[in-house]
Amino acid sequence: MKNKIILLSVLFLLASCATNPNGTKMKISDEESKLEIYNRAMFNFNYQFDKMVLKPVAKGYKSVTTQSIRNRVTNFFNNLEEPAYAINNLLQGEMKSSGLSVARFAVNSTLGLLGTFDVAEGWGLEKKKNSFDATMALYCTPDGPFIVMPILGPSTPRYLIGWGVDSMTDPMYWALWDKQDEDWAVALSYGGTALKYINKRAENMALLDSLEEGSVDYYATIKAAFMQNRQKFQSLCDSKNTESQATASYDFDFEDEED
Amino acid sequence: MRKLIALICACVFCFSFKANAIDASKAEDFVKKVTTEGVEEIVNSTASIEEKDARFEKLFNEYLDLDYIGRFVLGRYWKTASDKQKDDFIKVYREFNTKTWSKRFDEFKGKSFDFNGTTPSNSEGQIFVNTSVKMNEGEPVKVLWRVKDGGQMKIVDIVIENVSLAITARNEYTAYIKQAPGGLDDLIKDLKEKSK
Repeated sequence: MKNKIILLSVLFLLASCATNPNGTKMKISDEESKLEIYNRAMFNFNYQFDKMVLKPVAKGYKSVTTQSIRNRVTNFFNNLEEPAYAINNLLQGEMKSSGLSVARFAVNSTLGLLGTFDVAEGWGLEKKKNSFDATMALYCTPDGPFIVMPILGPSTPRYLIGWGVDSMTDPMYWALWDKQDEDWAVALSYGGTALKYINKRAENMALLDSLEEGSVDYYATIKAAFMQNRQKFQSLCDSKNTESQATASYDFDFEDEED
Repeated sequence: MRKLIALICACVFCFSFKANAIDASKAEDFVKKVTTEGVEEIVNSTASIEEKDARFEKLFNEYLDLDYIGRFVLGRYWKTASDKQKDDFIKVYREFNTKTWSKRFDEFKGKSFDFNGTTPSNSEGQIFVNTSVKMNEGEPVKVLWRVKDGGQMKIVDIVIENVSLAITARNEYTAYIKQAPGGLDDLIKDLKEKSK
Protein backbone atom coordinates (compact mmCIF):
# COMPACT_ATOMS: atom_id res chain seq x y z
CA MET A 1 0.00 0.00 0.00
CA LYS A 2 2.79 2.41 0.96
CA ASN A 3 4.69 1.51 -2.23
CA LYS A 4 1.65 2.37 -4.31
CA ILE A 5 1.44 5.81 -2.74
CA ILE A 6 5.09 6.53 -3.44
CA LEU A 7 4.68 5.38 -7.02
CA LEU A 8 1.62 7.53 -7.51
CA SER A 9 3.35 10.64 -6.13
CA VAL A 10 6.32 10.17 -8.42
CA LEU A 11 4.00 9.81 -11.37
CA PHE A 12 2.06 12.95 -10.44
CA LEU A 13 5.34 14.84 -10.56
CA LEU A 14 6.15 13.39 -13.95
CA ALA A 15 2.76 14.35 -15.33
CA SER A 16 3.21 17.95 -14.26
CA CYS A 17 6.57 18.07 -16.01
CA ALA A 18 5.04 17.31 -19.35
CA THR A 19 4.02 20.86 -20.24
CA ASN A 20 5.58 24.27 -19.74
CA PRO A 21 3.90 26.50 -17.15
CA ASN A 22 2.11 28.42 -19.89
CA GLY A 23 0.66 25.22 -21.27
CA THR A 24 2.65 24.91 -24.50
CA LYS A 25 4.18 21.63 -25.52
CA MET A 26 7.82 21.11 -24.67
CA LYS A 27 10.27 21.42 -27.55
CA ILE A 28 12.20 18.32 -28.45
CA SER A 29 15.31 18.43 -26.32
CA ASP A 30 18.01 16.29 -24.83
CA GLU A 31 15.54 15.25 -22.15
CA GLU A 32 13.29 13.68 -24.71
CA SER A 33 16.03 11.76 -26.50
CA LYS A 34 17.29 10.45 -23.16
CA LEU A 35 13.78 9.22 -22.46
CA GLU A 36 13.68 7.65 -25.91
CA ILE A 37 16.92 5.77 -25.23
CA TYR A 38 15.47 4.48 -21.97
CA ASN A 39 12.15 3.59 -23.63
CA ARG A 40 13.77 1.59 -26.39
CA ALA A 41 15.93 -0.29 -23.91
CA MET A 42 13.00 -1.10 -21.62
CA PHE A 43 10.86 -2.04 -24.62
CA ASN A 44 13.57 -4.46 -25.66
CA PHE A 45 13.73 -5.93 -22.17
CA ASN A 46 9.96 -6.40 -22.14
CA TYR A 47 10.10 -7.94 -25.60
CA GLN A 48 12.68 -10.49 -24.45
CA PHE A 49 10.73 -11.22 -21.26
CA ASP A 50 7.62 -11.72 -23.36
CA LYS A 51 9.45 -13.99 -25.78
CA MET A 52 11.07 -16.11 -23.04
CA VAL A 53 8.32 -16.24 -20.47
CA LEU A 54 4.95 -14.67 -21.09
CA LYS A 55 4.33 -15.73 -24.69
CA PRO A 56 5.20 -19.42 -24.19
CA VAL A 57 3.00 -19.56 -21.09
CA ALA A 58 0.16 -17.84 -22.96
CA LYS A 59 0.58 -20.28 -25.85
CA GLY A 60 0.40 -23.19 -23.42
CA TYR A 61 -2.68 -21.69 -21.81
CA LYS A 62 -4.25 -21.29 -25.24
CA SER A 63 -3.64 -24.92 -26.08
CA VAL A 64 -5.36 -26.24 -22.94
CA THR A 65 -8.37 -23.94 -23.15
CA THR A 66 -11.12 -23.33 -25.64
CA GLN A 67 -12.23 -19.91 -26.85
CA SER A 68 -15.36 -20.41 -24.78
CA ILE A 69 -13.36 -20.90 -21.59
CA ARG A 70 -11.18 -17.89 -22.35
CA ASN A 71 -14.33 -15.82 -22.89
CA ARG A 72 -15.51 -16.83 -19.40
CA VAL A 73 -12.18 -15.76 -17.93
CA THR A 74 -12.23 -12.47 -19.84
CA ASN A 75 -15.78 -11.80 -18.66
CA PHE A 76 -14.86 -12.59 -15.06
CA PHE A 77 -12.10 -10.01 -14.98
CA ASN A 78 -14.08 -7.47 -16.98
CA ASN A 79 -16.86 -7.75 -14.43
CA LEU A 80 -14.44 -6.85 -11.62
CA GLU A 81 -13.83 -3.56 -13.43
CA GLU A 82 -17.48 -2.47 -13.27
CA PRO A 83 -17.09 -0.74 -9.86
CA ALA A 84 -14.31 1.37 -11.40
CA TYR A 85 -16.61 2.20 -14.33
CA ALA A 86 -19.41 3.15 -11.93
CA ILE A 87 -17.23 5.46 -9.82
CA ASN A 88 -15.63 7.19 -12.79
CA ASN A 89 -18.92 7.63 -14.60
CA LEU A 90 -20.15 9.30 -11.41
CA LEU A 91 -17.08 11.55 -11.20
CA GLN A 92 -17.72 12.62 -14.78
CA GLY A 93 -21.36 13.41 -14.14
CA GLU A 94 -22.64 10.49 -16.19
CA MET A 95 -25.34 9.40 -13.77
CA LYS A 96 -27.21 7.05 -16.03
CA SER A 97 -24.04 5.25 -17.06
CA SER A 98 -22.96 4.97 -13.45
CA GLY A 99 -26.26 3.35 -12.54
CA LEU A 100 -25.93 0.94 -15.44
CA SER A 101 -22.47 -0.13 -14.28
CA VAL A 102 -23.75 -0.77 -10.76
CA ALA A 103 -26.66 -2.78 -12.11
CA ARG A 104 -24.42 -4.76 -14.43
CA PHE A 105 -22.07 -5.65 -11.61
CA ALA A 106 -24.95 -6.81 -9.43
CA VAL A 107 -26.65 -8.86 -12.13
CA ASN A 108 -23.54 -10.40 -13.66
CA SER A 109 -21.92 -11.28 -10.35
CA THR A 110 -24.99 -13.23 -9.28
CA LEU A 111 -27.01 -14.41 -12.26
CA GLY A 112 -23.91 -14.26 -14.43
CA LEU A 113 -22.11 -16.73 -12.19
CA LEU A 114 -19.44 -14.49 -10.69
CA GLY A 115 -19.31 -12.44 -13.86
CA THR A 116 -18.36 -15.25 -16.20
CA PHE A 117 -21.47 -14.61 -18.26
CA ASP A 118 -22.56 -11.17 -19.38
CA VAL A 119 -26.27 -11.73 -18.85
CA ALA A 120 -26.82 -8.03 -18.16
CA GLU A 121 -26.06 -7.24 -21.80
CA GLY A 122 -28.97 -9.41 -22.80
CA TRP A 123 -31.19 -7.44 -20.44
CA GLY A 124 -30.33 -4.25 -22.27
CA LEU A 125 -27.86 -3.03 -19.65
CA GLU A 126 -25.04 -1.71 -21.82
CA LYS A 127 -21.44 -1.66 -20.72
CA LYS A 128 -20.31 1.90 -20.01
CA LYS A 129 -16.58 1.55 -19.83
CA ASN A 130 -14.71 4.34 -18.04
CA SER A 131 -11.53 4.93 -16.09
CA PHE A 132 -9.80 7.36 -13.79
CA ASP A 133 -7.49 8.10 -16.72
CA ALA A 134 -10.55 9.42 -18.60
CA THR A 135 -11.74 11.32 -15.52
CA MET A 136 -8.40 13.09 -15.31
CA ALA A 137 -8.53 13.78 -19.04
CA LEU A 138 -11.95 15.35 -18.63
CA TYR A 139 -10.42 17.80 -16.16
CA CYS A 140 -7.67 18.46 -18.71
CA THR A 141 -4.86 16.80 -16.79
CA PRO A 142 -1.94 16.55 -19.20
CA ASP A 143 -1.09 13.06 -20.37
CA GLY A 144 2.67 13.29 -19.99
CA PRO A 145 5.35 11.65 -22.14
CA PHE A 146 5.33 8.12 -23.47
CA ILE A 147 7.10 5.85 -20.98
CA VAL A 148 7.71 2.14 -21.25
CA MET A 149 7.34 0.47 -17.85
CA PRO A 150 9.00 -2.82 -16.92
CA ILE A 151 6.67 -5.73 -17.73
CA LEU A 152 3.64 -3.44 -17.76
CA GLY A 153 4.71 -2.00 -21.09
CA PRO A 154 3.62 1.22 -22.85
CA SER A 155 2.18 3.92 -20.62
CA THR A 156 2.11 7.59 -19.80
CA PRO A 157 2.20 9.16 -16.32
CA ARG A 158 -1.53 9.87 -16.40
CA TYR A 159 -2.24 6.34 -17.59
CA LEU A 160 -0.25 4.92 -14.68
CA ILE A 161 -1.99 7.07 -12.11
CA GLY A 162 -5.34 6.03 -13.57
CA TRP A 163 -4.33 2.40 -13.45
CA GLY A 164 -3.18 2.74 -9.84
CA VAL A 165 -6.35 4.45 -8.69
CA ASP A 166 -8.67 2.07 -10.56
CA SER A 167 -6.92 -0.97 -9.11
CA MET A 168 -7.94 0.23 -5.66
CA THR A 169 -11.56 -0.21 -6.66
CA ASP A 170 -11.02 -3.83 -7.59
CA PRO A 171 -13.42 -5.95 -5.51
CA MET A 172 -10.78 -8.68 -5.13
CA TYR A 173 -8.51 -6.08 -3.48
CA TRP A 174 -11.14 -5.29 -0.87
CA ALA A 175 -12.28 -8.86 -0.37
CA LEU A 176 -8.75 -9.91 0.58
CA TRP A 177 -7.89 -6.62 2.36
CA ASP A 178 -7.85 -7.86 5.92
CA LYS A 179 -6.47 -11.27 5.05
CA GLN A 180 -3.05 -10.13 3.83
CA ASP A 181 -1.25 -12.38 6.33
CA GLU A 182 -2.93 -15.53 5.17
CA ASP A 183 -1.03 -17.60 2.61
CA TRP A 184 -4.08 -18.68 0.69
CA ALA A 185 -5.18 -15.09 0.21
CA VAL A 186 -1.78 -14.03 -1.07
CA ALA A 187 -1.68 -17.00 -3.44
CA LEU A 188 -5.16 -16.22 -4.68
CA SER A 189 -4.27 -12.60 -5.26
CA TYR A 190 -1.09 -13.35 -7.20
CA GLY A 191 -2.66 -16.27 -9.00
CA GLY A 192 -5.60 -14.16 -10.05
CA THR A 193 -3.35 -11.41 -11.42
CA ALA A 194 -1.27 -13.96 -13.31
CA LEU A 195 -4.34 -15.55 -14.85
CA LYS A 196 -5.70 -12.14 -15.86
CA TYR A 197 -2.56 -11.21 -17.76
CA ILE A 198 -1.92 -14.62 -19.27
CA ASN A 199 -5.47 -14.68 -20.58
CA LYS A 200 -5.07 -11.17 -21.97
CA ARG A 201 -1.81 -12.13 -23.65
CA ALA A 202 -3.42 -15.19 -25.21
CA GLU A 203 -6.32 -13.14 -26.54
CA ASN A 204 -4.17 -10.43 -28.14
CA MET A 205 -1.60 -12.79 -29.62
CA ALA A 206 -2.91 -12.75 -33.18
CA LEU A 207 -3.15 -8.96 -33.25
CA LEU A 208 0.32 -8.33 -31.83
CA ASP A 209 1.90 -10.96 -34.06
CA SER A 210 0.46 -9.40 -37.20
CA LEU A 211 1.47 -5.94 -35.99
CA GLU A 212 5.03 -7.07 -35.42
CA GLU A 213 5.23 -8.83 -38.77
CA GLY A 214 4.20 -5.68 -40.60
CA SER A 215 6.67 -3.38 -38.92
CA VAL A 216 10.32 -2.50 -39.45
CA ASP A 217 10.51 -0.62 -36.16
CA TYR A 218 8.21 -2.39 -33.70
CA TYR A 219 8.87 0.08 -30.89
CA ALA A 220 7.89 3.06 -33.06
CA THR A 221 4.77 1.26 -34.27
CA ILE A 222 3.61 0.42 -30.76
CA LYS A 223 4.37 3.93 -29.53
CA ALA A 224 2.48 5.54 -32.43
CA ALA A 225 -0.54 3.26 -32.04
CA PHE A 226 -0.64 3.66 -28.26
CA MET A 227 -0.39 7.46 -28.27
CA GLN A 228 -2.85 7.87 -31.13
CA ASN A 229 -5.39 5.71 -29.35
CA ARG A 230 -5.10 8.06 -26.38
CA GLN A 231 -6.24 10.98 -28.51
CA LYS A 232 -9.82 10.00 -27.78
CA PHE A 233 -9.23 11.35 -24.25
CA GLN A 234 -8.20 14.70 -25.68
CA SER A 235 -11.69 15.18 -27.04
CA LEU A 236 -13.06 14.90 -23.49
CA CYS A 237 -11.08 17.96 -22.46
CA ASP A 238 -11.82 19.78 -25.72
CA SER A 239 -15.55 19.25 -25.44
CA LYS A 240 -15.47 21.40 -22.32
CA ASN A 241 -13.84 24.29 -24.19
CA THR A 242 -16.36 25.11 -26.86
CA GLU A 243 -14.09 27.77 -28.42
CA SER A 244 -11.31 25.39 -29.42
CA GLN A 245 -12.13 23.67 -32.70
CA ALA A 246 -10.08 20.55 -32.22
CA THR A 247 -9.58 18.60 -35.37
CA ALA A 248 -9.34 14.85 -35.09
CA SER A 249 -5.75 13.73 -34.55
CA TYR A 250 -5.97 11.42 -37.55
CA ASP A 251 -7.09 14.24 -39.84
CA PHE A 252 -3.65 15.10 -41.11
CA ASP A 253 -2.74 17.85 -43.51
CA PHE A 254 -0.42 16.55 -46.17
CA GLU A 255 2.23 19.11 -45.31
CA ASP A 256 1.94 18.34 -41.60
CA GLU A 257 5.25 17.44 -40.08
CA GLU A 258 5.73 16.18 -36.58
CA ASP A 259 8.63 14.42 -34.98
CA MET B 1 -27.70 47.43 -55.49
CA ARG B 2 -25.32 46.43 -52.71
CA LYS B 3 -27.56 43.56 -51.77
CA LEU B 4 -27.48 42.30 -55.37
CA ILE B 5 -23.68 42.37 -55.45
CA ALA B 6 -23.57 40.57 -52.12
CA LEU B 7 -25.96 37.96 -53.44
CA ILE B 8 -23.89 37.42 -56.58
CA CYS B 9 -20.72 37.13 -54.51
CA ALA B 10 -22.41 34.63 -52.25
CA CYS B 11 -23.47 32.55 -55.23
CA VAL B 12 -20.00 32.63 -56.75
CA PHE B 13 -18.56 31.66 -53.42
CA CYS B 14 -21.02 28.80 -53.15
CA PHE B 15 -20.13 27.45 -56.55
CA SER B 16 -16.40 27.69 -56.05
CA PHE B 17 -16.74 26.05 -52.64
CA LYS B 18 -18.71 23.18 -54.12
CA ALA B 19 -16.09 22.62 -56.78
CA ASN B 20 -13.56 21.61 -54.08
CA ALA B 21 -15.92 19.67 -51.87
CA ILE B 22 -16.09 15.93 -52.17
CA ASP B 23 -19.45 14.26 -52.67
CA ALA B 24 -20.28 12.47 -49.41
CA SER B 25 -22.70 9.92 -50.83
CA LYS B 26 -20.34 9.14 -53.70
CA ALA B 27 -17.52 8.55 -51.23
CA GLU B 28 -19.72 6.27 -49.16
CA ASP B 29 -20.74 4.30 -52.23
CA PHE B 30 -17.09 3.99 -53.20
CA VAL B 31 -16.11 2.50 -49.84
CA LYS B 32 -19.16 0.22 -49.96
CA LYS B 33 -17.95 -1.05 -53.31
CA VAL B 34 -14.41 -1.62 -52.05
CA THR B 35 -15.45 -3.46 -48.89
CA THR B 36 -18.05 -5.60 -50.67
CA GLU B 37 -15.55 -6.57 -53.33
CA GLY B 38 -12.92 -7.25 -50.70
CA VAL B 39 -15.15 -9.40 -48.55
CA GLU B 40 -16.89 -11.28 -51.36
CA GLU B 41 -14.05 -11.84 -53.77
CA ILE B 42 -11.25 -12.32 -51.32
CA VAL B 43 -12.04 -12.95 -47.68
CA ASN B 44 -15.06 -15.22 -48.03
CA SER B 45 -14.16 -16.64 -51.42
CA THR B 46 -13.25 -20.30 -51.86
CA ALA B 47 -10.65 -19.57 -54.53
CA SER B 48 -7.05 -20.69 -54.17
CA ILE B 49 -4.58 -18.64 -52.13
CA GLU B 50 -2.70 -17.58 -55.28
CA GLU B 51 -5.95 -16.42 -56.86
CA LYS B 52 -6.92 -14.55 -53.70
CA ASP B 53 -3.52 -12.85 -53.52
CA ALA B 54 -3.79 -11.79 -57.15
CA ARG B 55 -7.28 -10.37 -56.63
CA PHE B 56 -6.16 -8.56 -53.51
CA GLU B 57 -3.19 -7.02 -55.28
CA LYS B 58 -5.47 -5.73 -58.02
CA LEU B 59 -7.95 -4.31 -55.50
CA PHE B 60 -5.16 -2.79 -53.45
CA ASN B 61 -3.50 -1.06 -56.39
CA GLU B 62 -6.76 0.12 -57.89
CA TYR B 63 -8.44 1.59 -54.82
CA LEU B 64 -5.58 2.95 -52.75
CA ASP B 65 -3.53 5.99 -53.69
CA LEU B 66 -0.21 4.44 -52.81
CA ASP B 67 1.80 7.29 -54.32
CA TYR B 68 0.11 9.77 -52.01
CA ILE B 69 0.38 7.47 -49.00
CA GLY B 70 4.00 6.61 -49.77
CA ARG B 71 4.92 10.30 -49.91
CA PHE B 72 3.09 10.95 -46.66
CA VAL B 73 4.67 8.17 -44.65
CA LEU B 74 8.22 9.33 -45.43
CA GLY B 75 7.44 12.69 -43.87
CA ARG B 76 10.27 15.17 -44.14
CA TYR B 77 12.53 12.54 -45.71
CA TRP B 78 10.56 12.64 -48.96
CA LYS B 79 11.76 16.15 -49.80
CA THR B 80 15.42 15.20 -49.37
CA ALA B 81 15.14 11.90 -51.24
CA SER B 82 16.54 11.47 -54.75
CA ASP B 83 14.20 10.57 -57.61
CA LYS B 84 15.55 7.04 -57.68
CA GLN B 85 15.01 6.66 -53.93
CA LYS B 86 11.46 7.93 -54.30
CA ASP B 87 10.73 5.42 -57.05
CA ASP B 88 12.35 2.56 -55.19
CA PHE B 89 10.51 3.36 -52.01
CA ILE B 90 7.06 3.56 -53.59
CA LYS B 91 7.70 0.30 -55.40
CA VAL B 92 8.88 -1.62 -52.36
CA TYR B 93 6.22 -0.02 -50.14
CA ARG B 94 3.53 -1.22 -52.51
CA GLU B 95 4.92 -4.76 -52.51
CA PHE B 96 5.42 -4.84 -48.75
CA ASN B 97 1.88 -3.72 -48.01
CA THR B 98 0.31 -6.17 -50.44
CA LYS B 99 2.18 -9.04 -48.78
CA THR B 100 1.42 -7.90 -45.21
CA TRP B 101 -2.26 -7.25 -45.71
CA SER B 102 -2.96 -10.40 -47.71
CA LYS B 103 -1.83 -12.39 -44.67
CA ARG B 104 -4.59 -10.81 -42.58
CA PHE B 105 -7.55 -11.99 -44.66
CA ASP B 106 -8.58 -14.71 -42.25
CA GLU B 107 -9.12 -12.19 -39.48
CA PHE B 108 -11.96 -10.67 -41.49
CA LYS B 109 -13.74 -13.93 -42.34
CA GLY B 110 -17.45 -13.73 -41.71
CA LYS B 111 -17.28 -10.07 -40.73
CA SER B 112 -19.21 -7.32 -42.41
CA PHE B 113 -19.07 -3.53 -42.41
CA ASP B 114 -21.90 -1.35 -41.08
CA PHE B 115 -21.98 2.13 -42.60
CA ASN B 116 -22.66 5.16 -40.39
CA GLY B 117 -22.47 8.19 -42.65
CA THR B 118 -19.50 10.46 -43.21
CA THR B 119 -17.37 13.00 -41.32
CA PRO B 120 -15.84 16.03 -43.04
CA SER B 121 -12.09 16.39 -43.26
CA ASN B 122 -10.14 19.60 -42.96
CA SER B 123 -8.18 18.61 -46.06
CA GLU B 124 -9.54 19.73 -49.41
CA GLY B 125 -11.28 17.13 -51.51
CA GLN B 126 -11.20 14.55 -48.75
CA ILE B 127 -13.76 12.97 -46.45
CA PHE B 128 -14.05 10.25 -43.85
CA VAL B 129 -16.49 7.40 -44.38
CA ASN B 130 -17.57 5.91 -41.06
CA THR B 131 -17.95 2.16 -40.70
CA SER B 132 -17.95 -0.33 -37.86
CA VAL B 133 -17.21 -4.03 -37.74
CA LYS B 134 -19.00 -6.25 -35.23
CA MET B 135 -16.60 -8.45 -33.31
CA ASN B 136 -17.17 -11.77 -31.58
CA GLU B 137 -16.35 -10.20 -28.24
CA GLY B 138 -16.92 -6.69 -26.98
CA GLU B 139 -18.03 -3.59 -28.84
CA PRO B 140 -17.85 -3.14 -32.60
CA VAL B 141 -14.60 -1.72 -33.92
CA LYS B 142 -14.80 1.73 -35.50
CA VAL B 143 -13.10 1.88 -38.89
CA LEU B 144 -12.85 5.19 -40.75
CA TRP B 145 -11.92 5.33 -44.43
CA ARG B 146 -10.25 8.51 -45.61
CA VAL B 147 -11.28 9.03 -49.22
CA LYS B 148 -9.65 11.49 -51.62
CA ASP B 149 -11.23 12.61 -54.85
CA GLY B 150 -8.55 13.61 -57.35
CA GLY B 151 -10.64 12.87 -60.41
CA GLN B 152 -10.82 9.24 -59.39
CA MET B 153 -11.81 8.22 -55.87
CA LYS B 154 -9.04 6.62 -53.86
CA ILE B 155 -8.48 5.58 -50.26
CA VAL B 156 -5.59 7.38 -48.60
CA ASP B 157 -5.87 6.21 -45.00
CA ILE B 158 -7.68 3.79 -42.74
CA VAL B 159 -8.29 4.79 -39.12
CA ILE B 160 -9.01 1.93 -36.73
CA GLU B 161 -10.25 2.97 -33.28
CA ASN B 162 -8.61 6.40 -33.55
CA VAL B 163 -5.33 4.92 -34.81
CA SER B 164 -4.46 6.14 -38.28
CA LEU B 165 -2.45 3.58 -40.24
CA ALA B 166 -0.79 6.33 -42.28
CA ILE B 167 0.30 8.32 -39.23
CA THR B 168 1.47 5.15 -37.47
CA ALA B 169 3.50 4.18 -40.51
CA ARG B 170 4.96 7.67 -40.80
CA ASN B 171 6.00 7.71 -37.14
CA GLU B 172 7.55 4.32 -37.60
CA TYR B 173 9.45 5.07 -40.79
CA THR B 174 10.73 8.48 -39.76
CA ALA B 175 11.92 6.99 -36.46
CA TYR B 176 13.62 4.21 -38.37
CA ILE B 177 15.33 6.54 -40.85
CA LYS B 178 16.49 8.79 -38.00
CA GLN B 179 18.16 5.81 -36.30
CA ALA B 180 19.50 3.98 -39.34
CA PRO B 181 23.08 4.67 -40.47
CA GLY B 182 22.09 4.38 -44.13
CA GLY B 183 18.92 6.41 -43.76
CA LEU B 184 16.23 5.91 -46.38
CA ASP B 185 18.28 3.34 -48.28
CA ASP B 186 18.37 1.10 -45.22
CA LEU B 187 14.60 1.35 -44.93
CA ILE B 188 14.14 0.43 -48.57
CA LYS B 189 16.44 -2.55 -48.12
CA ASP B 190 14.68 -3.71 -44.98
CA LEU B 191 11.25 -3.47 -46.55
CA LYS B 192 12.51 -5.39 -49.57
CA GLU B 193 13.75 -8.16 -47.26
CA LYS B 194 10.40 -8.35 -45.50
CA SER B 195 8.49 -8.54 -48.78
CA LYS B 196 10.25 -11.70 -49.88
